Amino acid sequence: MAPRSKKATTVPSQTLVIDNGAYTLKAGLVPSAASDLSYDNCSMIPNCIARSTRDKRTYVASELADCKDFGELAFRRPVEKGFIINWEAQKAIWEHEFMDSSAGAGLRCDPKDTNLLLTEKPNCPKELQKNCDEIVFEQFEFAAYYRCVGGALNAYHPPSLGSLPQECLLLIDTSYSDTTIMPVYNGQLIHPAVRRLTVGGKLLTNYLKELSSLRHYNMLEETYLLNEIKEAVSFVAPSSQHFSKDLERTWKGRLGDKRELDSSIVLDYVLPDYEQSVHGYARPHDPAKSRMRRGLQPLQGPREDLLPLGNERFAVPELLFNPTDIGIHEVGLPGAVMEVLNGLPEALKVGMLANVVVVGGNTLIAGFMDRLEAELRSLVPANYLLNMVRADDPIKHTWLGAARFASQPEVIKEVLVTKAEYDERGSTWLGKKFAGESR
Amino acid sequence: MPHVEVLPNSAASVAPGWTYVVDTGYDPSKVAINPKNKKRAAANPNQRGENELSSRQQTAIARRIAELNRDNDPKQSIPIPGKTSIPKTQNARRIIQYQRQIKHWLDDEEAQLAQVQQVPQPSARSAPSRPVAQPLRRSSIMAPVPPTPSEATPAPPAPSSHMDLEDDPLLAIDSSMPPPINQAELDALLSASPLSYAASHVAPPPTGGPPPRHFCDNCGYWGKIKCLKCGARVCGMECKDAHEATRCLKWA
Ligand SMILES: [Zn+2]
Ligand SMILES: [Zn+2]
Repeated sequence: MAPRSKKATTVPSQTLVIDNGAYTLKAGLVPSAASDLSYDNCSMIPNCIARSTRDKRTYVASELADCKDFGELAFRRPVEKGFIINWEAQKAIWEHEFMDSSAGAGLRCDPKDTNLLLTEKPNCPKELQKNCDEIVFEQFEFAAYYRCVGGALNAYHPPSLGSLPQECLLLIDTSYSDTTIMPVYNGQLIHPAVRRLTVGGKLLTNYLKELSSLRHYNMLEETYLLNEIKEAVSFVAPSSQHFSKDLERTWKGRLGDKRELDSSIVLDYVLPDYEQSVHGYARPHDPAKSRMRRGLQPLQGPREDLLPLGNERFAVPELLFNPTDIGIHEVGLPGAVMEVLNGLPEALKVGMLANVVVVGGNTLIAGFMDRLEAELRSLVPANYLLNMVRADDPIKHTWLGAARFASQPEVIKEVLVTKAEYDERGSTWLGKKFAGESR
Repeated sequence: MPHVEVLPNSAASVAPGWTYVVDTGYDPSKVAINPKNKKRAAANPNQRGENELSSRQQTAIARRIAELNRDNDPKQSIPIPGKTSIPKTQNARRIIQYQRQIKHWLDDEEAQLAQVQQVPQPSARSAPSRPVAQPLRRSSIMAPVPPTPSEATPAPPAPSSHMDLEDDPLLAIDSSMPPPINQAELDALLSASPLSYAASHVAPPPTGGPPPRHFCDNCGYWGKIKCLKCGARVCGMECKDAHEATRCLKWA
């Protein structure tokens, strides 16, 4: 049992923790004083409403698991650039996942008897924060609530040595909406030093979609499939030199000087037909098959649609390191990390470099961590210690940090605002309080 | 008459509407050994750089990036299925009815900031659109040429003052310990407001760095030839035909 607070107002003993991403929302109910929290306490739910023109069905969030035909599936996402902008859709998804009879086991709750810890991306426009706060208390009527930048709560993971929160943490979050770099001191985000890169998983998927549609089939309506292909075949070249070499190996050559594509790097992705197969798969490129596809050779074997993937495999994720490749006027991720560090006093810089944690789905791209570490190493003064790790589960890690924060009764009670306080003082006051302006 | 622009340093073969430009297909190893691009740029300050884009091209690129970065298709409307709870307050009703895109909210934020900045502010609390000082952005830590990790077999040279300590890494790290943190400076940093969304983006690459790489608009190989109609690059005649048939001027 949680110790009773000496504060006059009491808050419920369970907290719904939501890391509300644009692609998936990560959520779980956290009991007060829970000591054995793990990634298993986190449910990952598509944060979208999807409509299929084929089976005429609309899928709300977790219902997408029932979908067997992802062809031309259209998505409505309540979060844009990482911020909740459409409360009609977000409300429907939250109600479906947390409040209605459709809610999953371990997620269903009565907001009146539950605290809400909601994480947000840094640099959220104040108007959107205000909308969010008003909906949380006036529509959902949560008993108590705290909203903060999710990245900072990663300081509440138990450190290998020392106490909580971790003193210095440089969190790199490269996820669906974008890539953000967040220096955190004693669990507090150093707001003015935070920087973001436009490139995130969404842009990479859309870029692959654009390239595939230009070079092979019209796939502009196949966002789901292209995301799946991206996750299956992408890799980050170990260096700019490797990138150049790989570009040669995947070039068709010029007229009169045709080159054989290097099938140790070029793949054929066998597209799903959504009748026999729901998912596709990749295999080494077979030149005979592509001649058949172009009608230059008689068809043999089963009919299949192949998407050849050459330089797309590494030129797409390369945008994280060279956004200027498609004209985005931003330095790549390693340079961006240095920009953040250079906005900090020297002592903090040293501390941050010794504890760099990388989270987000893009970290799962093969070769990503090696390239980031190598390039960062070459930018950091040689006499500085650089210690960088990818979280064990880079997608659920921020949620788990938030859950650990929420599970400590005396910590969460300090920051929660109750509905009674909100009703008395209003959303402008609340916005200031969460921004740390009225302590 | 076809409009043919011969770019500086271009090779001989010129096709109508097309010209060869120097392959700046960026290879950092070459840049590091032989920085001839820089010298050339310095020698011909008045010539239009081949990397310069017209404002039309810049608009086209911006539109394409916006397209790639879009979350929802505005042409699509997917209604909420089933029953959902009705709005409980006026505030909730208004907020739930918003069908604006993020772009509109961000434009609002910038407009408000612009207004605030016109009125003299008694308090420094409002979000600055950039930090007051941009410390050390182009400091020596940011090498003018980006890292070429595999090339850097010898570790990046440490400042010479640390050389004599190299055989004792612990000591070396210890000796480089920065001055202890200034509490007032730290407090100011921790209590400062966030930047606006627009201001939170990282800076462009340093100007002294390598030129941007150019790729074939059609196949993704190095873009050695420039289309004079739209500025896109292609790798050769085959891709030039494909480019003209598909994407030429698409984003213009
Ligand atoms: Zn080409
Ligand atoms: Zn063109």
